[in-house]
Amino acid sequence: MDAATAIDPNITMRELLVQFPGAQRALFRKYHIGGCSSCGFSPEETLTGVCARNENLNVDEVTEHIVTSREADRAMQIEPRELADRIASGEPVYLLDVRTREEFEAVKLPGSHLFTQELMQEILSDGSKTNLFVVYDHTGARSLDAAAYFQGHAFENVKSLRGGIDAWSAEVDSNLPRYHVEQHE
Amino acid sequence: MPGARKWTRIFRGITLNNMNDDLQTRIGEAVKNPRNLGEMIDADAVGTVGSADCGDMLRMWVKFKEEGGRKVIDRATFQTFGCQTAIAVASVATEMLAGKTVAEAQAMSGEELAAPLGALPPVKIHCAQLVEGALRSALSGDHEKKPENLSSAPTLLGQLNAGQSSERKVKIVIDKDGVN
Repeated sequence: MDAATAIDPNITMRELLVQFPGAQRALFRKYHIGGCSSCGFSPEETLTGVCARNENLNVDEVTEHIVTSREADRAMQIEPRELADRIASGEPVYLLDVRTREEFEAVKLPGSHLFTQELMQEILSDGSKTNLFVVYDHTGARSLDAAAYFQGHAFENVKSLRGGIDAWSAEVDSNLPRYHVEQHE
Repeated sequence: MPGARKWTRIFRGITLNNMNDDLQTRIGEAVKNPRNLGEMIDADAVGTVGSADCGDMLRMWVKFKEEGGRKVIDRATFQTFGCQTAIAVASVATEMLAGKTVAEAQAMSGEELAAPLGALPPVKIHCAQLVEGALRSALSGDHEKKPENLSSAPTLLGQLNAGQSSERKVKIVIDKDGVN
């Protein structure tokens, strides 16, 4: 595949993630690489090296998967309006908030659950693998990684809220205030 | 770690289908209210077992203390992903470990670690083995070793956990006009 050959097999993982921000999600979804520190990689490793120590994966196949993964990222997102409609229709939906507790306490989607380690154990053991399961954060970037993590654990219908709670405020519920975060060390 | 034959002998005759209600209830209770769950920042030793498949991983942290001139386990904590029985076994096992010496803890089999739950069916033996393996890994070799960072690259799990980090103070400022 032409696009796949555009990735140099000796590219470092750091460079790969710059060129293809969704590569880590793609690697975990299909090959269970990069999900946690046990199956992680170092930024200095090459793609070829990572493939070699993961049961000698075929580098061409892996690069093609990374290139085509943008579509998978898109498929994993749900539009705020669609989510609102599906909640309104009575469909069972689990909402997981992966922001900080401070953000959660300030502004949240009704019925959502704040992510904690304990909650993760509960979700992985007892959560429905088939119902709609939506992960959200402030603007929809980190939640995509979080959703991919659950997808790699066989949650078939996990989605990331496109644009996060900020897009929800802008497009669905203007009563939910928009905000920004100031961080202090 | 006992061989497969020993495990088969221990759990002979019990299958998942006839896993008794008591056992399921005890596993359910342990999962609902797991003891000693989570990373221990000041651990003296850490052990991990499991394949690169994260769903199979179990990590145990151990802290020691001096008691009556002996070095004993002060407390043990764990983290695992995916399997209810592994959570249940690790929960009851970490409760039992407090006060034991390294030698006493090393002598404990998976069966003994899972004993408060009752006998496990063959299909769940692996879960008790995970706990036993993580404990042995933590207790073997250099007890002073600290949890090591296996990878310095960001992980999906790291991104998932990022909101839980307490290192930063976060201030939420509501936008007056609704525009960022």
